[in-house]
Amino acid sequence: MSTYSYFPGCSLEKMALSYHQSAMQTTNAVGVEMKEIEDWNCCGATTYFHVDELLAYTLVARNLAMAEKAGHDLVAPCSACYKNTYFTSKYLKEDKDLSDHINYALEQDNLKYSGSIEVKHLMEVFVNDVGLEEIKERTTKPLAGLRVAPYYGCQIVRPKKDHEDVENPRFFEELVSSIGADPVDFAYRLRCCGGSLIITSREAALTLVRNLLQNAVDSDADVIATACPLCQTNLEVYQMQVNQEFDTNFSIPIMYFTQLMGIAMGLPKKKLGIGSEFISTDKILTYAKEPA
Amino acid sequence: MDTKKKLLMIDDDPDFVEPIMAILENAGYEVDAKYNPDEGFQALKTGSYDLLLLDVLMGRGAEGIMIARKIGDDEKLRETPILIITGMREQIAFLFPGQPVHPSFVPTDELIEKPVEPDLLLEKVSTLLKMAEERKAKSELN
Amino acid sequence: MATRPTFSEEVANLMHSSHGNPLNTCIQCGTCSGTCPVAEFMDHTPRCLIGLINANQKEDVLDSNTYWFCASCFHCTVRCPSEIDISGLMYSLKRYSIWKHHYSDDAIGPVFSETFVKSILRSGRSYEPVLAPSYIFSYGVREFLNEAHTATNLMLKGRIPVIPPKLKRIENFKKMADRIIPMGGAK
Ligand code: SF4
Ligand code: SF4
Repeated sequence: MSTYSYFPGCSLEKMALSYHQSAMQTTNAVGVEMKEIEDWNCCGATTYFHVDELLAYTLVARNLAMAEKAGHDLVAPCSACYKNTYFTSKYLKEDKDLSDHINYALEQDNLKYSGSIEVKHLMEVFVNDVGLEEIKERTTKPLAGLRVAPYYGCQIVRPKKDHEDVENPRFFEELVSSIGADPVDFAYRLRCCGGSLIITSREAALTLVRNLLQNAVDSDADVIATACPLCQTNLEVYQMQVNQEFDTNFSIPIMYFTQLMGIAMGLPKKKLGIGSEFISTDKILTYAKEPA
Repeated sequence: MDTKKKLLMIDDDPDFVEPIMAILENAGYEVDAKYNPDEGFQALKTGSYDLLLLDVLMGRGAEGIMIARKIGDDEKLRETPILIITGMREQIAFLFPGQPVHPSFVPTDELIEKPVEPDLLLEKVSTLLKMAEERKAKSELN
Repeated sequence: MATRPTFSEEVANLMHSSHGNPLNTCIQCGTCSGTCPVAEFMDHTPRCLIGLINANQKEDVLDSNTYWFCASCFHCTVRCPSEIDISGLMYSLKRYSIWKHHYSDDAIGPVFSETFVKSILRSGRSYEPVLAPSYIFSYGVREFLNEAHTATNLMLKGRIPVIPPKLKRIENFKKMADRIIPMGGAK
């Protein structure tokens, strides 16, 4: 059984509790252990970098140091946390001056980060470490006929890390296929959901959300699958506000990819946190059937 | 002053650097200015300066603190006296109530806040220079 | 001796550790503006803003709402043929404007950043409800009601915590932050 240090991030404590629950259930189902980092702190979201990047690195490094101490790679289910943590780890590995300084601060909590672990998004664990074959194997109730819009959003693919294809990634589509569902051609799958603009520039953010929802509906999707609590919140919670603002009539469920995996694996919906959403997912659940 | 003392100023704000340089040059110092932490540290390592005037918030954040700490770790550089001149309270006090705390990284240093009174500046500079010299004389004796 | 840096050099200094190329390598191709999902809401498109920086139009740049509208989606950054880190530039300008208190009174971004940072330094984790007061008053009545409605729904669905979370080793955490920004503690 492979074990990871799990960094849920602030949203998953409450706002996106269903993501947390379904992540735990599905990883467990494929034989992966997620050990929550004890006493983890906020990664600073995107906001810390506005004030002091060095402080932002320090906050992230504290989590990294605790994961390293536990001896496991760090896994983040939230794309914003993932991006911050991935790049902080990378920069600290590359820049000795920076890492000396940040470690000088970490001393205050008796910690040190030496850069010996990797940082992964939860989806990477499924796609690369567990493998799609294994997921297919565990899929007892394939979601045949369910049209899923795989919404990557931003920070799971950007900024570019290495030589990966940031213009045309396919891993989310492949994951959707592995649980028997149909990934639809979703042109806006890499477009931004507005992130925290929903707070600072509401009109702009609602416009982005509307465009995304429209594009998913145009591609005939039954559900939008996300891999980030911010995206989920913007697309789902603000869907009603979009309807009011633009006189639209959207009612498309937004689910975490782990929830879809969970139902395809026959896990009980309550354990996957299904039921706390604003837009009913009842219809989606009916697709989960044992193959005839 | 027989030989001109050489000072280095690392500060990202040209509006601050200009008048301060004028004051110091008028008082008979030779002053170089660098506007970002990397160039500043490079200059300090390669030139021979008698004193460093150091800003705090630059580039990514509180990089002045990072430089001071790095100097403190360097056997040779740490003998250079440092006058930290910061506008932090102005700049980010809404986040960090309280006063800038003087982080002592080198044997001879001090922290003052912007805006700086010319007289106070000159006094601090000459005091730090004197203290550094005394320290040097003492260590040479031993 | 030291010649006074131009505004574009000031920005370059701010970005001295940028992982992209310098702004003066911009070929004004407009890829960034074409990619940017919020360009239509910005005073200046990203391309235009970079043009203004390179032309040292300091006031125009700082007065622009462009960098506060940037959602940090990195779409422009991955596409720029000159490999300029445009998102990183927007971050730098946000920082510059906060440090210099140079932003318009009705901008929500700076207030949001402040509130967010304060909340984290106090408890180590972010807590949505404390963020609300920082921006909600700048809304019109209708938006306000919408927002209140959304918040109530979230509360009913159990998606907003009632008690703010806090770290166990919060004292160490604060001391750690003090080492980076020695300001007598984030208390
Ligand atoms: S994409 Fe790059 S080169 Fe083209 S205008 Fe934007 S910043 Fe300049
Ligand atoms: S990172 Fe900012 S400027 Fe670049 S495309 Fe996204 S929103 Fe626009």
